[in-house]
Amino acid sequence: MADRITFEATVNGQKVGPLDIPADLMLTELLHEYLGLTGTRVACGQGVCRACSVLIDDGVAGSAAALTPLPACVTGAAYASGKSIRTIEGMAGDDGQGNPVPSAIQQAFLDHFSFQCSFCTPGFVISAQALVERLERAPVPRDQVEDTVLAAMNENICRCTGYVRYLGAVRDVVLNTPGLTTGDPEPAVTAAAGPAAGGRG
Amino acid sequence: MVRLLRYLAIAVLLALIVTGLLYWKGTRLAPLPPATVDFAALAAPDRAALVARGAEVARDADCVACHLDPEGGSELGGGYPMHLPMGTLYGTNISPSREHGIGEWSADDLYRAVAWGVAPGGRNLYPAMPYVSYHAITRADSDALYAWLMAQRPVEKPSRRPDLMFPFNVRPALSLWNALFRPDAQPFAPAEGEAPDRARGRYLVDVLGHCGECHTPRNLAFAMTEPALGGQVLEGAYAPDLQQNSMVRRGWNPDDLIAFLHRGVSPQGVPTLTMLPVLQQSTSHMDDASLTAISTYLLGGQGRAAAALPAAVSPDPAGRLHYLGLCAGCHGTNGQGQPHSSVPLATNTTAMMDDPLNLVRVIREGIAPQELAHGERMQRMPGYAAQLSDQQLAELVNYLRQQWGGRSEVLTAADMQKLIKAGPAH
Repeated sequence: MADRITFEATVNGQKVGPLDIPADLMLTELLHEYLGLTGTRVACGQGVCRACSVLIDDGVAGSAAALTPLPACVTGAAYASGKSIRTIEGMAGDDGQGNPVPSAIQQAFLDHFSFQCSFCTPGFVISAQALVERLERAPVPRDQVEDTVLAAMNENICRCTGYVRYLGAVRDVVLNTPGLTTGDPEPAVTAAAGPAAGGRG
Repeated sequence: MVRLLRYLAIAVLLALIVTGLLYWKGTRLAPLPPATVDFAALAAPDRAALVARGAEVARDADCVACHLDPEGGSELGGGYPMHLPMGTLYGTNISPSREHGIGEWSADDLYRAVAWGVAPGGRNLYPAMPYVSYHAITRADSDALYAWLMAQRPVEKPSRRPDLMFPFNVRPALSLWNALFRPDAQPFAPAEGEAPDRARGRYLVDVLGHCGECHTPRNLAFAMTEPALGGQVLEGAYAPDLQQNSMVRRGWNPDDLIAFLHRGVSPQGVPTLTMLPVLQQSTSHMDDASLTAISTYLLGGQGRAAAALPAAVSPDPAGRLHYLGLCAGCHGTNGQGQPHSSVPLATNTTAMMDDPLNLVRVIREGIAPQELAHGERMQRMPGYAAQLSDQQLAELVNYLRQQWGGRSEVLTAADMQKLIKAGPAH
């Protein structure tokens, strides 16, 4: 199709556009080729592996759409136009002097040695970030964290099979961040956690 | 006052007489056709052949669809829920368990249950058991099915009781329904001058396949009514119109229909929602002759080439942007799809149907990864309920129907709300 659209959006907090782009341009191509944001990875190219996940805010803060990772490889720029997009480049914070500070999820992935080749990591970061923000609005009981984390990360594929360390890192962030869970926090010392955990089964 | 009471008494009396007559008619069964096999004197090779034929009958009749154990482990152990307006029914255990299944049944008992809907002891089956369709099963097929069923592993698991509201939970009252809506059991025979291929197809579609149970509209008493195979909404999904002219209008032809029923893939689409298990458990196991017969019966050799598909009717421009934004990445800018992962939409029939229910459901809910048949599969489609407002959904649905469905109607956000509510209530 020869037709074109005008693209305007907020990407990682910065205004982008207006850009004259093909109407059927996919978001990964827009990010890579037009905006120079190459951190979003393309692996399967058909929306299955989730390496290319991004967050697209539909204008309603905290809405289901804003907190549902979308695969950028099969999501058209036409959908994202006029909206607010967050990519892996927008995940880290700032120390106030221009130095990036990893997000809690990014730091946990580093601490847990979660990734090996790292190709899938941007997608895992986005999915985990979306989960954290969902839990800020709707905390879950602590005994459901394991299942909640698995459900949220289940679509992301890691061909190095680093799943255990990825999931462990996300679980730690969820359990150790106040407000993401309901019920009493577990005692920090693992040895003392037995009876308390047993009571919740 | 006395006169009024007298009229009332007469009315009550008449109602009682009518009810009594209906009950008498509904409980009276014609003599059963004699068994075609002497099971006691069956030699081993003959029994093996009969069991093999029975397996085919079970596949053709898709017994597993309702009698499987949804928790796994058995295709005949029962427990599958059917959500109906009057409550929930569960498929029963039809394994040869003597305690929980049909292990004590005779071949006559099986024929009476399948063709008349009456279990041993005169207990009425609910018409969710499609005896209205099965009424024309041949006695030979019923006997083969009996041999196969009795050769299966018994499943020692009790059947789950129906959970129906009054008065539907009164089984004897079904005799009244039977009197009004149940055809007499009458073994199938080709019509005069009917070609054997068409007759075979009619038997597979109308009798064993019981396609009309989903595809034929139902009346207020939930009995199948006219037009046969005219399409209806059941369990939150629209079972499309299978009448010949309607199928040809939607671009079906014999080769594609056979491919759809065999492998689950055709330019017109793949089986979704309640049709997917039908492919997996029944039609994908049928041989070429059976599938050709079905196609002959449904399409009568008619069919339309893809070039003659409906022309686009001024497609909604806003809907087109939603399409390019959310759909085109997998289904292609021009609706061409990707083999073995995403269906083509340019030839898909879902946008052509009178009822947009399935289109709305698939867009909002997505589709789980589909293992179709003979190695064919489709990848997961995500649901877009969170990404599309009712207004945007209406625009997208309008675009798809106008672009590839040949339909000019303009649906609104309010229409979407109605369709969303018509979806699965459970």
